[in-house]
Amino acid sequence: MKKFIIALIVIVATQTAVAQENKGTFSGGFESNAQWYQDDDAIGVNAPQDQSRSNNYFSLRYSYDKFTAGIQYELFAPNALLGYSPSFTGNAIGTYYLNFKHKGLDITGGHFYDQFGSGLIYRSWEDRQLGIDNSIRGVRINYAFNEYLTATAFTGNQREAFEISEGTVTGLNAELDLSTALDIETGIQIGASYVNRYQQYTGPNLNFPADVGAYSGRADLSFKNFFIGTEYVFKEADAFVLDGLISNTNLQEGRALLINAGYAIKGLGINATFRTLENMTFYSDREAAGNTFLLNTINYVPGYSKQQDYAVSNIYVYAPQTAVVPLEGKAGEIGGQIDLYYTAKKGSTIGGKYGTKFELNYANWSGLDAEFDLANETYEASLFSRGEKYFEEYSIAIKKRFSKNFSTIFTSIHTEYNGDIIEGKDFYLKGNSFIFDGLYKLNKGRSIRMDLQHLSADADRGNWAAATAEYAFSPFLSMYVTDLYNYDVTNIHYYSVGGSYTKGRTRVAVNYGRQRGGLVCVGGVCRFVPENTGLTLNISTNF
Amino acid sequence: MKKLLFIVVLFSFTFAKAQTALPEISLKDLNGKEVSLASISEDKTVVVSLWATWCVPCMRELDTIADVYEDMQEEINFELIAISVDDSRSTRRVKPAVMGKGWEYTVLLDPNNDVRRHLGNPNVPLTLIIKNGAIVYRHSSFTPGAEDELFDKFKEIAGE
Repeated sequence: MKKFIIALIVIVATQTAVAQENKGTFSGGFESNAQWYQDDDAIGVNAPQDQSRSNNYFSLRYSYDKFTAGIQYELFAPNALLGYSPSFTGNAIGTYYLNFKHKGLDITGGHFYDQFGSGLIYRSWEDRQLGIDNSIRGVRINYAFNEYLTATAFTGNQREAFEISEGTVTGLNAELDLSTALDIETGIQIGASYVNRYQQYTGPNLNFPADVGAYSGRADLSFKNFFIGTEYVFKEADAFVLDGLISNTNLQEGRALLINAGYAIKGLGINATFRTLENMTFYSDREAAGNTFLLNTINYVPGYSKQQDYAVSNIYVYAPQTAVVPLEGKAGEIGGQIDLYYTAKKGSTIGGKYGTKFELNYANWSGLDAEFDLANETYEASLFSRGEKYFEEYSIAIKKRFSKNFSTIFTSIHTEYNGDIIEGKDFYLKGNSFIFDGLYKLNKGRSIRMDLQHLSADADRGNWAAATAEYAFSPFLSMYVTDLYNYDVTNIHYYSVGGSYTKGRTRVAVNYGRQRGGLVCVGGVCRFVPENTGLTLNISTNF
Repeated sequence: MKKLLFIVVLFSFTFAKAQTALPEISLKDLNGKEVSLASISEDKTVVVSLWATWCVPCMRELDTIADVYEDMQEEINFELIAISVDDSRSTRRVKPAVMGKGWEYTVLLDPNNDVRRHLGNPNVPLTLIIKNGAIVYRHSSFTPGAEDELFDKFKEIAGE
């Protein structure tokens, strides 16, 4: 706390002094997510020991000339919200940095966020909803040699709640823009990276590597309306860890291939992603492998499926399976998705007066076809084989405006979900959902939105229905009431009511209700949240 | 609790002094060309919207404005620059989405969320009006009708 106060005084004093010369700029934000938990017999949950909990983040950033400095102070009072790592407790400065930028040079000391390529080899980022902040504390240097060649080097330890990781992460990256270098129309970018994790090992096994390196190469091409990109990552053999226990009789290599291609013209856009990977978990602490709170993750392996917008379509969401788990027959996964956006022109039969928008998505994921020799703790798997189906989904959304004031979205989804693989529960589910969403705009910024949702499923908890009504009093103030009802098996209503007020830089939201337990996925990365009931208050402001 | 109070007091102090501009960095547009953020509002007023393909209200806002974009360009010189904060998972979806929807905006990519962090990690959608490099109006969230408020503000600010 003392350090924090001193840091703030210094920053504020400097800022005050400099403000008169009007050279510095100052920005920051404050976010507080608080919840008061209740006992709720209907869903069989008791409030946790600390009944009211909150996650608070306060960040300050100050730039002056070529320098930028920032800190983020975090307070988990008295403990973090349910579903977050319990290591987030108390208060401290979470991240701090000093950055210098001049011409092509960009140097950061302290915590930094970055990614190489798609992140398949390395990515550090912050997501407060997921409770992730795997920034690296160390030194990062980025240098642009000229218009087409850029290189990055960094080394440091990864943030692990308020501590840092035991392992040191070092990375090198180079990006070359060939189209600029050769002055050609066709876009060609290539890149290569090396990322190393160094962690001393003092146990009995002499073969145990302290250094584990990963190499990646990638190329992106674009010509006219087409684009295609590919990335390959190879990770050196690392210890085999399951549930925090090292079983190091066999070290294993990992590999991944990502291909992305697309076509876009006005009114039509298509994007296809294919990815296959084997044993691609990469942690800054070998014993953290597979931890549920996503701590110490060096690389980013998101689930590529459509991010669904509604309650019933978010119950069975694919979570990527990157780890090797012999007893479950998992060695990796293979699959992909196709996205299509199409706009039927205004005035055409389908387009009507305002044009009709279509969004289609197809996603399919399976395990690699792996053969495990449990006795010798080895396995064989090909990167281009398909084993058990994990997930499949077809979805279509049609967005249609009927008049200046009335527009609708119709969504239909067919989902196949392997509950055994994704959640470790004994079911394989096929489900169909239909969702109707209507929006009516009144005058003076007032509007009404309603949706009706239904999911019929043949396994697990069966059928669900949901409805939402939302009323905006103005662009600044809105209220909603929603209910997600499992009428088939549990007869539980997950109701919620709330409102939010937004003005300029500040937003305040209040909700009361029941939260369905399960995976909360943001950007293809999932976190488990236990079922709970209570009152939440979210405040955020930026300046 | 004391700490919280302390933060609030301190925060209100700094708030009064705060002044903001977009960071002086370059982002890539959909053709891979670098665009400097410092140059986008040189001697003019523009709207910058931070959005993502996975954000429903963002898509609503940009779809709604797209319906009347040409008219507003003519009537009040309205110009919108849409900065996508889609990360590496969904950044590949941006171009197909923008083209498929037929949006006429200048679209920039911020896959590492540098701009977003510079602005204090706000929720999206975040809509800014920027005049000669300075952020003069800021609104987050979108409900239907908010676009009219935005056009009014834009007209007022651009006309000053």
